[in-house]
Amino acid sequence: MDMQPTDPLSTTFAALADPTRRAILARLADGEASVKDLSAPFDMSQPAVSKHLRVLERAGLIERGRQAQWRPRTLRAEPLRDIAEWLDRYRQHWEGSYDRLDDYLRDLQETKEHRDGDDDGSDTHRPG
Amino acid sequence: METTMAATRIDRGSTPTTAIYSEGGELVFERTFAAPRELVWRAFTEADRVSRWWGPRGTTTTVVEMDVRVGGTWRYLSHAADREDVTFYGEYLAIDPPAEFTWTFMFDVEGVGPMGGPETHTFEDLGDGRTRIRTISNMGSPEAIDGALATGMVKGAIETWDRLEELLAEG
Repeated sequence: MDMQPTDPLSTTFAALADPTRRAILARLADGEASVKDLSAPFDMSQPAVSKHLRVLERAGLIERGRQAQWRPRTLRAEPLRDIAEWLDRYRQHWEGSYDRLDDYLRDLQETKEHRDGDDDGSDTHRPG
Repeated sequence: METTMAATRIDRGSTPTTAIYSEGGELVFERTFAAPRELVWRAFTEADRVSRWWGPRGTTTTVVEMDVRVGGTWRYLSHAADREDVTFYGEYLAIDPPAEFTWTFMFDVEGVGPMGGPETHTFEDLGDGRTRIRTISNMGSPEAIDGALATGMVKGAIETWDRLEELLAEG
């Protein structure tokens, strides 16, 4: 059903593309939570939330606790660190600055809506 | 400029010289150079020319290998004073001189593995001695493009094309 990933991070980016999933990650950044807790803020059914959780799990962004019967979900930071590594390599090559990258990574960690990329220092933004 | 049926072309910080936009997971840079297409083609496909412009200002590039034929591989080493060398590499997937070629553009990231994807360069003869270059990089997703742009890559990319322009002016 999904397209074949083109690189190791494509699954992560695909998982992060959805605002509900970013909100779930933001909640888990504060600590583990049950599916019921995670479903509470959303106007959607528990099965719908579970579907999002499966996507996050496949992307390695969350895992299920083993000990407790209610299988709390916890955040896994590794894929986000991988994104940071990739971007830092990119920044180095292009001799870019940390200014915006720091913001981007903070947004990623806090899984907020992305800001529009409009502050690269140039003062004209006309197409073509 | 020709238009396409693509639903979502998003401007990504175009400058007076360079159009920069994305369509889905593709990031596109487009710029017109005052040079004939054959000369532009050579700047991209001859090792001693590539090494004179490739990379942002402050970097130098060594062409370790470039076997410009379908299935051939390429490897560039990028040096800069304030960082470790970075190796870029890939394979030529399609070649149509002097109009277009596609290669994979890859680099290794510690703990992650090879990153990158296909990249197509097209060279459009505008008929008046000028050539429009369009580089289409498949980044995989709009989110990956957000990240790449957040690194400040636009400045480096435009510097790279400024250097290309200078080389082309030498003939």
